[in-house]
Amino acid sequence: MAQERTIKSPLPGVFYRRPNPESEPYVKEGDRIEAGTTIGLVGVMKSFHEIKADSGGVVVRFLVENEEPIRVGQDLLVLGD
Amino acid sequence: MLEVKSGGIETTVQDYPGRVGLLDQGIFPAGPMDDLAFRMANLLVGNDPGAAGLEVTAGGAEFAFTDNRVVAVCGADMQPRINGEPIELWRSYEVKAGDTLTLGWLNGPGFRSYVAVSGGIDVPVVLGSRATYAPGEIGGYEGRALKEGDQLPLGNTGNATPGRRVKPSLVPTYTSEWVVEAVRGPQADPDYFTTEDMEFFFSHAWTLDRNSNRTGYRLDIHQWQWARKTGGVAGGHPSNILDNGYPVGAVNVAGDQPIILTVDGPTLGGFVCCAVVAMGAMWKLGQMVPGWDKLRFKEVDIAQAAELVQQMNQLISEESLEGV
Repeated sequence: MAQERTIKSPLPGVFYRRPNPESEPYVKEGDRIEAGTTIGLVGVMKSFHEIKADSGGVVVRFLVENEEPIRVGQDLLVLGD
Repeated sequence: MLEVKSGGIETTVQDYPGRVGLLDQGIFPAGPMDDLAFRMANLLVGNDPGAAGLEVTAGGAEFAFTDNRVVAVCGADMQPRINGEPIELWRSYEVKAGDTLTLGWLNGPGFRSYVAVSGGIDVPVVLGSRATYAPGEIGGYEGRALKEGDQLPLGNTGNATPGRRVKPSLVPTYTSEWVVEAVRGPQADPDYFTTEDMEFFFSHAWTLDRNSNRTGYRLDIHQWQWARKTGGVAGGHPSNILDNGYPVGAVNVAGDQPIILTVDGPTLGGFVCCAVVAMGAMWKLGQMVPGWDKLRFKEVDIAQAAELVQQMNQLISEESLEGV
């Protein structure tokens, strides 16, 4: 049975899945990522902050849309083994 | 020395009242966004209330001490810890060489946390203040937010006072729906706005835009009625006026959008200001979460605004503290 866990946002702001509007998303569902992989950006106060995975695994699904406002501690995506 | 292990999202050296008396030189004061929590933190550790300390914004920062100090953290709850052990906000603690102070994610309402260290942060005084004005790269530590590896010099720790706390009944209450006292004008009704415009201004629950920062706090776009058709010689839009000086805390209405000019704001410009946030209410702005929190303006007159400042200054006193 796969252990599912979530990656949470450390700060409030707006979540972005891409480094800029023309780029591919940092990660996609099905990707295998490692701890430290950037999974998105949070924009607040006119600056952007990279959100990094705190553990490795396979991206099962995103729980927030691109450019969705998020709160601190909100689940961003589900990771599986 | 205070070693920065992590600067977090935006951590700056500030002092109070910052760089005052220089508006005519184009310099806003900088200093802490929440001057109440900032000064309380200094008072707790035995510093002058205006001594240089740290403003930690939006969560996450880590510091290591190289000698014995007393430290206090006031403001938003970022789950502060010394050597991994949770500590209380609004309380002073002893630290030794090698100890670490960590601030984590925001926990509950509030947005900025203040760290005071006995002796204060001894960065150079620039134009009369140690406060960081990052947009102009003036003051603080190299004129910028702190990052990993920075070494902050500390002043002499004189009468450091561990084991004290702010009396619990006097700790300010944070919320996500704020009431902010403000004085009408200098450009309000009937000359620039209609009576209905100002009624809306003082009753609407404004949402703080996510792009608000130390320079300005953006509020909702609103279709104002305007008392004038145009700005005349100053420009086509009725929000235009000939350039004039802006007070700290002015609610500057640029076209449809009101923007509160906060401590790193511009000193002049050519848009009307319909109200000015009372000096004694500016601290509330510092604890609002951009993108989420709401605020209403409560109209006060000059005498009431002066009383607010006086009340706040009375709160920043030894009488507000107790031993633990």
